Amino acid sequence: KATSKKVITREEWEKKLNAVKLRKQDMNTLVMNFLVTEGYVDAAAKFQRESGTKPEIDLATITDRMAVKKAVQNGHVEDAIEKVNDLNPEILDTNPELFFHLQQQRLIELIRQGKTEEALEFAQEELAPRGEENQAFLQELEKTVALLVFEDASNSPVKDLLDISHRLKTASEVNAAILTSQSHEKDPKLPSLLKMLIWAQNQLDEKAVYPHINDLSTGQLEDPPE
Amino acid sequence: MPTTTSSSSFSSAASSSGNRQADVFSRLASSDPEVKLKALREVKNQIIGNRTKKLSFLKLGAVPAIASALSDSECNSILVQSAAALGSFACGFEAGVQAVLDAGVFPRLLRLLTSSDEKVVDAGARSLRMIFQSNQAPKYDFLQEKNMEFLFSLLNSENENVSGLGASIIAHACGTTVEQQVLCEAGVLEKLVILLDGSLSQREACLESLATVLKNNPEAVSRFVGLEAGRYLSSVTELTKDRYPRTRLLSCLCLVVIYNTSPSYFLNMGTKSSLVTTLLELLNDPGQSGDEAALGLSSLIAEKEDLQKLAYEANAIKNIVDILKTGSELHPKRLQGLFLSLAELCSKLEDCRCSFLSLEMLDLLVNALRHNNADVRTAACICFRNAARSVKNLSAGRFTNDHVMLPLVQLLHDPSSSVQVAVLGALSNIVLDFSSPKSTFIEYGGIKQLIELSKSMDPNARCSALRALRNLMFLADNKRKELFYSEVKAQGFVSLISDPEPTVQEQGLALLRNLVDGCINSIEFVFDEEGLILDTVGRQLRKSPQAQMAIQGMYVLTNVASGTELHKEAVMQQLFPQPQAESNNFMLKFLQSHESQLRSATVWTIINLISPSSPGALDRHVKLREEGIIPQLKNMVNDSCLDVKVHKRS
Repeated sequence: KATSKKVITREEWEKKLNAVKLRKQDMNTLVMNFLVTEGYVDAAAKFQRESGTKPEIDLATITDRMAVKKAVQNGHVEDAIEKVNDLNPEILDTNPELFFHLQQQRLIELIRQGKTEEALEFAQEELAPRGEENQAFLQELEKTVALLVFEDASNSPVKDLLDISHRLKTASEVNAAILTSQSHEKDPKLPSLLKMLIWAQNQLDEKAVYPHINDLSTGQLEDPPE
Repeated sequence: MPTTTSSSSFSSAASSSGNRQADVFSRLASSDPEVKLKALREVKNQIIGNRTKKLSFLKLGAVPAIASALSDSECNSILVQSAAALGSFACGFEAGVQAVLDAGVFPRLLRLLTSSDEKVVDAGARSLRMIFQSNQAPKYDFLQEKNMEFLFSLLNSENENVSGLGASIIAHACGTTVEQQVLCEAGVLEKLVILLDGSLSQREACLESLATVLKNNPEAVSRFVGLEAGRYLSSVTELTKDRYPRTRLLSCLCLVVIYNTSPSYFLNMGTKSSLVTTLLELLNDPGQSGDEAALGLSSLIAEKEDLQKLAYEANAIKNIVDILKTGSELHPKRLQGLFLSLAELCSKLEDCRCSFLSLEMLDLLVNALRHNNADVRTAACICFRNAARSVKNLSAGRFTNDHVMLPLVQLLHDPSSSVQVAVLGALSNIVLDFSSPKSTFIEYGGIKQLIELSKSMDPNARCSALRALRNLMFLADNKRKELFYSEVKAQGFVSLISDPEPTVQEQGLALLRNLVDGCINSIEFVFDEEGLILDTVGRQLRKSPQAQMAIQGMYVLTNVASGTELHKEAVMQQLFPQPQAESNNFMLKFLQSHESQLRSATVWTIINLISPSSPGALDRHVKLREEGIIPQLKNMVNDSCLDVKVHKRS
């Protein structure tokens, strides 16, 4: 059955796009929201100066939060924990999953540094009780402890844990928890908008042939394949 | 664990950590403020999030040490760290709360709220809030004026932690209607609703405290709904769609409270429906919100057939069963809530029961009977009780096999009386299974256990045990009745029907009614030990009993009067004992009762007494006429109760 989709040329499409009115301040707000949520304090302050856009939260609180995030990203988990507790002692006391992940990261860092004895001690003293207190953590705990078993952990089935991306994951989790405790939304708006764009294009694909944005980072319109 | 480790390494790990803890503990007592501060920070950072450490530091005696540090110092950093440490001990950890309160540091924490240093205020407010979330929190006397002033000063504070503390105190310490009244009159609702527009933690504290103030208090609810023409009720309803699950939960619980107190504000079916579905969604939340959502749901649909239907149509049963089947360890509170919700769903709707029973749930339910938490066991029993109301499934033998019966019967010995009462309720329904000629229950020595429980200290247990026996003896054959008689003789039975609690007496008489029903030999029981039981029944009937008891008593007489000449005469003796200077003609009173069942039972007795087939019928008829009974009957030709009319005609 031949598709009877409407065909929209590049010219027509661009004309339609140009007809959509956007407000500059909406875009500024989006950018500020992104900078603030991701914690780019200096950029946010500069952007505020240059564009006059007001940040939605006090930039000073961002500094504290960023210090925590940075500490985790650099593998200084114990330092990060102390900073979070200074900021708000309730966060870790009421977020068992986050606390477990931080402890887990600590163990990973000890293993990475080759401090096997200390790692074992830490696993037994700090992580084992978490597993006892909450069965949901047992599986992850076992995976982490498995790092100790392998001669060459970085080539083991659990090597993902040693990856830097795991630090980033933990850092992101802490960041989100702090934002929530400050009643701020933990996700910036920008990604949601982009997801909406992709969804809308998928929906429209069923009815029309038109120029797509395939590369989100450039936003370039590409002619549809023939 | 890896094989490279040895046991000595484990013990050295344990002892070195123990040493570290002892070391930091000793530094807490240091006179050097720098050292002390560092030690406080260390302890705080070790215990936050770590229940195990909280326990071990607790055992070392850390709490009193930290409390002294707090009390003896004026240095802000020490105040902040020690307050934070104490707050952490109290966070979700009952032993910690106890220790903090025992250390007598509560007043000092209160004084921190007036500090000029914002961080000190924050630390103090947080710790106090943790304490007030516990059941052990000191009672807050709302009726004292200065306490009210203080409370309002908290609510008025700009500091989010402080106003949250105010709301928390209300949420957890307000208990009685009087307190609710006093708070409302002082304007607490107006203060609390401001927090609805505040930060996340303020909103949540507000919702919790609103629920407490409004609970079961129609006046308070009406006051709340009246604020700005219902604006805040709408706000709370809106919050059920909030992004944060805990906010959705707390606003739902608030609405459940309002609905249970004053349903008229929820005429709109849409609101009821979305409340049910939101709670159902929240059931899937793995954290505390999910636990509380389950209890909230059971509270919402309790006794409300329309909401049960809504929930059923929204696939509640399948959802709940899926959660129960996930196999992971569920929090006892959540289990209790889920089972209670299922029980409520099955309470009136046969579709629910069939649906539930078709989902292979019995194993899960049976396991719950063995759960170590009494509330869970109770909830599971209630679930059984309601599911067993399904005659179809009952007669299919679903409940009467060993697999189900044995654990149920074992619960008759449960240390918790609420479990006992609940299992008795379940058994009462299950023993009504007429299709099985033999009863597993009886084989397990059930009768003996029921008789044991009929002598319990708990009147609810006595009542439920007798109800179960009553059901067991309904249309029972002599063999089954014998099992009862072998354990309970006339004297023993008399104490059952003379119980101080009227509800227990009623069940006892109902049991007697079933015992003497059936063949003529059954009647002999009331004549044992020179008619002890019959005399007791007669005496009770003459004492102006409550309607329900009278009904059962008269049915006993009806059954006795259906027997031989001797039996009928004995009944007459009880109705009109001689000599009676003043005739306490309770029969007449009963015939004029508002309760149609009582009128009916009395008429039945009379019918049996004057049934023409027996020799002494005529004499008895004469006697009854003399006492004014027959004329009364003639007046009742057009009795509103059809039953009575029919009997009368015959």
